Amino acid sequence: MTGLSPHQAGARFLESPVTKNRLRPPGAVPEEIFPAKCIRCGRCVEVCPYRSIIMLDIRAGIHAGTPLVQVENIPCYLCMKCVDVCPTGSLLRVSQESTRMGLAIIDQFSCAAWQNTALCRTCYDKCPFPEKAIRLDQLKPVILPDHCTGCGLCTNACPVTLANGNKAINIEPLYARDKVTV
Amino acid sequence: MNQPGVYTKKGRNSQQRRFRYTTLRFIILFCAFLIIAINPCINYYLHNSFVQGWYQSFGIGSLWFVSPLEGLESLLITKTVYMPSIIGMVLPLLLVLLLGRVFCSWICPVTFILEITDRLRRAVSRKKYLRNRLIVVKKVLWFTLLAEILISMIIGAPLFVFLSPPGLVGREMMMLVFFHTLAIEGVLLLVIITLELVTRRFFCRSFCPLGALLALLGSKRKLLVVVESTQCVDCGACEQTCPMGLVPQMGEGITAYCWNCGECLDSCRTGALRFSWNTKYQ
Repeated sequence: MTGLSPHQAGARFLESPVTKNRLRPPGAVPEEIFPAKCIRCGRCVEVCPYRSIIMLDIRAGIHAGTPLVQVENIPCYLCMKCVDVCPTGSLLRVSQESTRMGLAIIDQFSCAAWQNTALCRTCYDKCPFPEKAIRLDQLKPVILPDHCTGCGLCTNACPVTLANGNKAINIEPLYARDKVTV
Repeated sequence: MNQPGVYTKKGRNSQQRRFRYTTLRFIILFCAFLIIAINPCINYYLHNSFVQGWYQSFGIGSLWFVSPLEGLESLLITKTVYMPSIIGMVLPLLLVLLLGRVFCSWICPVTFILEITDRLRRAVSRKKYLRNRLIVVKKVLWFTLLAEILISMIIGAPLFVFLSPPGLVGREMMMLVFFHTLAIEGVLLLVIITLELVTRRFFCRSFCPLGALLALLGSKRKLLVVVESTQCVDCGACEQTCPMGLVPQMGEGITAYCWNCGECLDSCRTGALRFSWNTKYQ
């Protein structure tokens, strides 16, 4: 995403495109197995009514054709249509609440509420599971990891955009890095 | 009835209004292409997802098809069985086990594009048949399949699925409708179309792993092109017309390389070639 340093260029062919705010659709199996399972049929891309899911091209190396959600552009609204059409089980059928696309992390050094520059509670207002996944602690947003689905609605709505494109609240794809036991 | 002259005469007379497999095949190819061309538009503009996908995975309501090569690779690489994927492969497998590699010749969008290319070339050059300038031993097909599966298993990602020309056409259509752009890997299609000016179906003959898998599965197929040697006059018309570079008059219509397109049947003036249901025995 950032500049191409020489050592990165070679590794990009195999490198996972899943990074901060770049997530797989709901129900995705861990990245270790995702490129193997996904047959790049694009049906999740076609079914997504919000056009949240984009399809990667050959620049993503072996991940070409796999789906990706760029939450700061269009977040996932958890309609769960993509998990219903996946023919390979790359997206497993999960409920809205048990979706774990990632975990929202608040950057307290840039968040307006935490920096006391504004009484902003946009992320709290946008969260589909308020008081469960996010709550206000003395008017400052706090994430509750047990319920955060990583849908990215908060990231998308966050009014603070840093120079590197990150928001004051970002989704880290923690669960995508899980190991699979086959 | 067994006089050769009678057959020749009858054949010539009835040729004008004779049923042509090429026409039927072109109509089916066109419809199959139309489906993957219109589908993304319906999905995108009308928000209707009843019919969905392209020939990597195609869904009509709850009936899902999964391309056998893609399904097999996913199975081999992940080493786990996912039943919906297996069940999606059943109908395509039945089709190939009974009719052989007909997906390639009757449905595949790449074949459709190459047919169009062929027709355009004919319109320009006035030469009916292209001389095949680039010929690779037919057996290369099997090595392609083997290499494809081995490399996929080594890198841990199904290789064919993102460089699959049949799937690529569908993907480019979807990209065009959904994102108003084209994926870069589409240049592969341009290469294949360019090769069509040198040798007919060069890619399909030797380098399509999907075609190789279908050929392998269809090697014991029921539907065969057989030659009635008493009626054959050795004119060589079938040999010239065969897009796969086979010699149907020598009985190559029963080999694994034949994809049952029926072009040789149309070219045969004596009616010596015909489709036959499981009467293989030379």
